[in-house]
Amino acid sequence: MSFANEPVLELRRAPVRESLLEGLSALDARLPLEVPVLVGGEAGAAAGLDSTDPGDPSRLVARAGRAGPAEAAAAVEAAERGSGEWSSRPAAERARVLSGAAARLRERRLELAALQVRECAKPWREADADVCEAIDFLEYYALAAVELEEGRALVQAPGERNTMRYVPRGVAAVIAPWNFPLAIPCGMTAAALAAGNAVVLKPAEQSPASAHALVEALHGAGVPPDALALLPGHGDAGAALVADPRVHVVAFTGSSAVGLEIVRAAAETPDAQPHLKRVVAETGGKNCVIVDADADLDEAVPEIVYSAFGYAGQKCSAAARVLVHEAIADTLEERLAGAVAVLRVGQAERFATDVPPVIDEEARERVAAYTAAAAREGGIAARAEAPPGGGSFAPAVLATGLPESSPVLREEVFGPLLAVTRVPDLDAACDIVDSLPFALTGGLFSRSPGAVERVVRRSPVGNLYVNRGTTGAMVGRQPFGGNRRSGSGSKAGGPDYLLGFVEPRVVTENTMRHGIPVE
Amino acid sequence: MEHELQRVGRAIHAALPGRGHHPLRALDQRAMELAAGDQELRAALFRFVDVTPACRSLEDLARHLADYLHEVDERPPPLQAAMRVSGTRAGRTALGAAAAAGVRHMAHRFIVGETPAAAVKPIRRLWEHGAAVSLDLLGEATVTEAEADRYAARCREALDTLAEAAPAWPGRPVLEADSHGRVPRVNLSVKVSALTPLLRPDAPEVGREDAARRMRPLLQRARDLGAHLHIDMESVNTLEATTDLVFELLDEPELSDGPSTGIVMQAYLRESGEQLERVIDWARASDRRPPLVVRLVKGAYWDHEVVEARQHGWTPPVWEEKAESDRSFEALTRMLVDARGHVRPAIASHNLRSVAHAIAYNRATGGRDADLELQVLRGLGDELAAALVAHDMRVRIYCPVGDMVAGMAYLVRRLLENTSNESFLGDQQRGVPIDELLAAP
Ligand SMILES: Cc1cc2nc3c(=O)[nH]c(=O)nc-3n(C[C@H](O)[C@H](O)[C@H](O)COP(=O)(O)OP(=O)(O)OC[C@H]3O[C@@H](n4cnc5c(N)ncnc54)[C@H](O)[C@@H]3O)c2cc1C
Repeated sequence: MSFANEPVLELRRAPVRESLLEGLSALDARLPLEVPVLVGGEAGAAAGLDSTDPGDPSRLVARAGRAGPAEAAAAVEAAERGSGEWSSRPAAERARVLSGAAARLRERRLELAALQVRECAKPWREADADVCEAIDFLEYYALAAVELEEGRALVQAPGERNTMRYVPRGVAAVIAPWNFPLAIPCGMTAAALAAGNAVVLKPAEQSPASAHALVEALHGAGVPPDALALLPGHGDAGAALVADPRVHVVAFTGSSAVGLEIVRAAAETPDAQPHLKRVVAETGGKNCVIVDADADLDEAVPEIVYSAFGYAGQKCSAAARVLVHEAIADTLEERLAGAVAVLRVGQAERFATDVPPVIDEEARERVAAYTAAAAREGGIAARAEAPPGGGSFAPAVLATGLPESSPVLREEVFGPLLAVTRVPDLDAACDIVDSLPFALTGGLFSRSPGAVERVVRRSPVGNLYVNRGTTGAMVGRQPFGGNRRSGSGSKAGGPDYLLGFVEPRVVTENTMRHGIPVE
Repeated sequence: MEHELQRVGRAIHAALPGRGHHPLRALDQRAMELAAGDQELRAALFRFVDVTPACRSLEDLARHLADYLHEVDERPPPLQAAMRVSGTRAGRTALGAAAAAGVRHMAHRFIVGETPAAAVKPIRRLWEHGAAVSLDLLGEATVTEAEADRYAARCREALDTLAEAAPAWPGRPVLEADSHGRVPRVNLSVKVSALTPLLRPDAPEVGREDAARRMRPLLQRARDLGAHLHIDMESVNTLEATTDLVFELLDEPELSDGPSTGIVMQAYLRESGEQLERVIDWARASDRRPPLVVRLVKGAYWDHEVVEARQHGWTPPVWEEKAESDRSFEALTRMLVDARGHVRPAIASHNLRSVAHAIAYNRATGGRDADLELQVLRGLGDELAAALVAHDMRVRIYCPVGDMVAGMAYLVRRLLENTSNESFLGDQQRGVPIDELLAAP
C-alpha cells in the first residue's frame, strides 16, 4: 500500500503561524456558521442547537439543527435507499471519491484548523494534526478498501474453487465525539463508506460545524446524498439510531458509559431485525505511564507533561497516571511538579498556551470535583492556575500520594489532572495496570531492554508507547484502539479496521463434471 | 587560493602530534574504532554509556551492559568474555566496576572538570601551552524554573571563578588581541534551553522572554568582569528564540557598551546563508564595540533534525549530503571573513580542509592571522589545536564542565560524532590519505 501521512504544518516557522492567525480572522468574520440537519440531500433548518467557544461562551460558533428520533428514522430510510447504489460501485470508484474528499479538506486546512480552535478550544498544533488525521483516514481507507475487495487467498484442492470476499453490511450509524471533531467522525465515516456502506453521522452536540465540513467535503466529492446523512443533535438522536432495526453497524467513539449502553442496546435483536448488529467501539481509558528506575528523566518529564496536559487531557490516549519506581520517585515528582507549575493555561488561539479550556462547564465541574477529591485523599504537588474570565478553564494539576482505592486513580477524569503513584518495582506497576478495567494506551520509560520486554509481555493495553509520549497516534503507523472496557479491539488507521464494516462471504464451487475437473 | 589552502593544510598536518603516545587515549580510541566498524555494537555502546549515570549499583550497570550486548549478533572476543562473567553476581560487580571505569575515562577525555573551580588548573595549563578556552557548563535538561535558576547561578559562579583566576595567567599576545583590540581571557558559552523551561518551538517569544530575565544579569556580570559570553546554538526548534533573544538584548541601551558577546551560525542549515547575511547586516548597522563574535560551525544536531523532519513529513532544514554542509561552511567562512571589519570570525571545526580554507582565505584577502579565531572541542580537537598553536594561530578550546549525570547527553553526542562514518575525524582515523582529506568538497 503506498500511503504517506499528510505532513503537519511546521508551526516553528513564524510565517506558518501567521497564516493560521489570518485563517482565524477570516473564520471569525463568518461566524456563526449554519449547520442544517441533512437527510437525502434535503437541508432542514439550522436551529435548535448552539455551538459556542469553550474559551468564550459569548461567541456563537455555529447554529445547528437539532435532529431527534424522527429525523433519525428518516435518515436511516434514506440510507437504506442510498446503500444499494453506493455498494454496487467498485471499491476503486468509491476510493476515488474519498480521495477527492481528502483533497477538499486539504484545500481548507487553515480554515478547518481554525474552526476547531473556536468550536472545541483545540490548540493549533492539535487542531492542525486533527485535520491531517482526517485526510489520512480518507486516503488510507480508500487504499485499504481496494485491497480488501480482492478478498483473501484460501487453500485450494483439486476439483473445487474456494473464494473469500468481503461485502458491505448496509447502513452504518456513526456516533462521534467532540475531542477530535473532524478526524474521528471522518475516520469512522470514511471506513464505513470505503467499505461500501451508507452512513448516518451523528456528531457530538459540541462540534456540529466540524462534522458539517466533513459531510460537505464528502458530498462535494461525489458521495450520493442518500448515502450520507448528517444529524446534528443530542443523545436522543444517537439512541434512536442505535435502536433502529435497519442499522447494521454502529461505530461509536466516546465515553465508556455511553459505549456500554450502546453495546447493550445494539445487542437487543427484535424479531423484525434480520441481522445481528455489529458495534465498533472506542471508549475511555485510564492510561498509565510507567517510569523505571533507569529512565531518562530529561526525556520523560516533557513527554509525560505533554501527554497529560496537551489539549487539557481531553484525549482518550492522554496520560492520567504515572507509576514511578520508588528509587527515582522524589526526583521525578519534583521535576514534574516544576514542569506543571510553569504550564500556561489560556486561550487555544494563543500559540503560547499549553493548556486550553476544557470543552464545557459540565467538564470543568467534573474536573474540579476530582481535583477536590485528590486534595482530600492525597495531595496537590503542583497547580497551574487558570486565567480569570468566562471560559471553561480548569487548572492543570499534579496529584500525589493517593490511595489505590481513590476514584481519582480508577475513573476517567478526561481533564488536566495527572496523578503520580510510587511503586516498589516494575511488577507492582504492571499489577496496577492489570487491575484497571481499561486498556487503551500505556507508556513506559526505561533504558533496559529486559524491562521493556517484561512490560510489553504484561501490558493489556491496545497501544503501548516506549520512551515517548502516549498521544499522537498516526494513521498507518500506530493503528489505534483499546482493549478490555476501552473498546472493541478494532484498530483505527490500521490494516484490520475495515473488517468491522463488512461481511465475509465464502463461495465454494465444485468444478468437477462427470468426474473430470473442468478448470 | 586553492594552492595556498593545500600548503597550509599540509603544514598543519605535518605539525599534528603523533598519536599513540598516550596509552589510555589509545585504549578508548580502540573502543571507538570497534564501535565505528559495527552499527549494532555502536548502538549497544552508546546505549550503555547513556544509561551509566542512571544505574544504581555496579551490578545494575553490568546487567544493562549484558542486556545491550545481548542484542549484538557478532561480539568481538573481549565483549564475549564480558557476557560470560555477567552470569554471576561477583562477575557482574567486577564487570560493572570495569565498565564504569571505562565510561569515566571516556568522559574525562571530553570534560575538563566537575566544577569551574576544578577546571581552573587545567585551563591555566592550556593557556600556558598557547590555547584559550571557552567554558561550557553541562547540565540536565531544564524543565522547571528552579533548574533554570540553578543554571544561571552556575554560570555566574563560573564567570566569577574564571575572572578571579585569569589575571594571574602569563601574557599570551596571540590570544589576547586582534585588530579590533583586546580579546577577553574569560570566555563562557551558555545555552538558552538551559535558561528557561519555556522554550516552545511554536511560541518562541515565551521562552525568549523568560530566558532574557536570566540572560540579562549574566551579560551585565560579564561586562563588569570584562569577560566574553557566547550563546551556543541548538536545534532548529529553538533557533528563532535564540537569535531573537541575542539581538533583542544587545540592542538594549544598557548593554550597548559590552560585554563581548558571540553567537553561532550552523552551516548545515539550508537557510544559513540568509541567516549570516542578517547577522552581518545587524553588525554593520549597530557597529557594536567590542564586535560580535560569530562562531561558524557545521551543526551538531544533524540526526535529530533529519529524523524529526522525516517523522513530520517536512523537508529537513539541513543539507542531506555531507559535502553540501562542507561547501556551505566554506561559503559562509568567506562571507564572515569578508565582514571582519564588523564581526570577529571564529571558525569551529576539526576538519583540516575547512580550517585550512579559512586560514588561506583570510590571508588571501589581506587579513592577519590574529583576526581569525580557530575553535575546537576538547577531546576531539586537541591534536589539531596543538598543531595550530605551533603555527601561532589563535586557538580556543571549548571545555565542558560538569559531572557525569549532567554530561551524558553531551558525551553521547561527541561519541556519536567521533564514530560517524561521515566525519572528518572518522576519515582521519581510518587513515584516509592527506590528498583526499584536503580535497575540495
Ligand atoms: C568550539 C566548537 C563549538 C561548537 N558549538 C556548536 C554549537 O553551538 N552548536 C552546534 O550545533 N554545534 C556546535 N559545534 C559542533 C559542530 O557543529 C560540529 O558538529 C562538529 O564540529 C563537527 O564538524 P567538523 O567540521 O568538525 O567535522 P566534519 O566531519 O567535517 O563535519 C561533520 C558535520 O557535518 C555535518 N554532516 C554530517 N553528515 C551530514 C550529511 N549527511 N549531510 C549534511 N551534513 C552532514 C554535520 O553538521 C556534522 O556535525 C561546535 C564545535 C566546536 C569545535
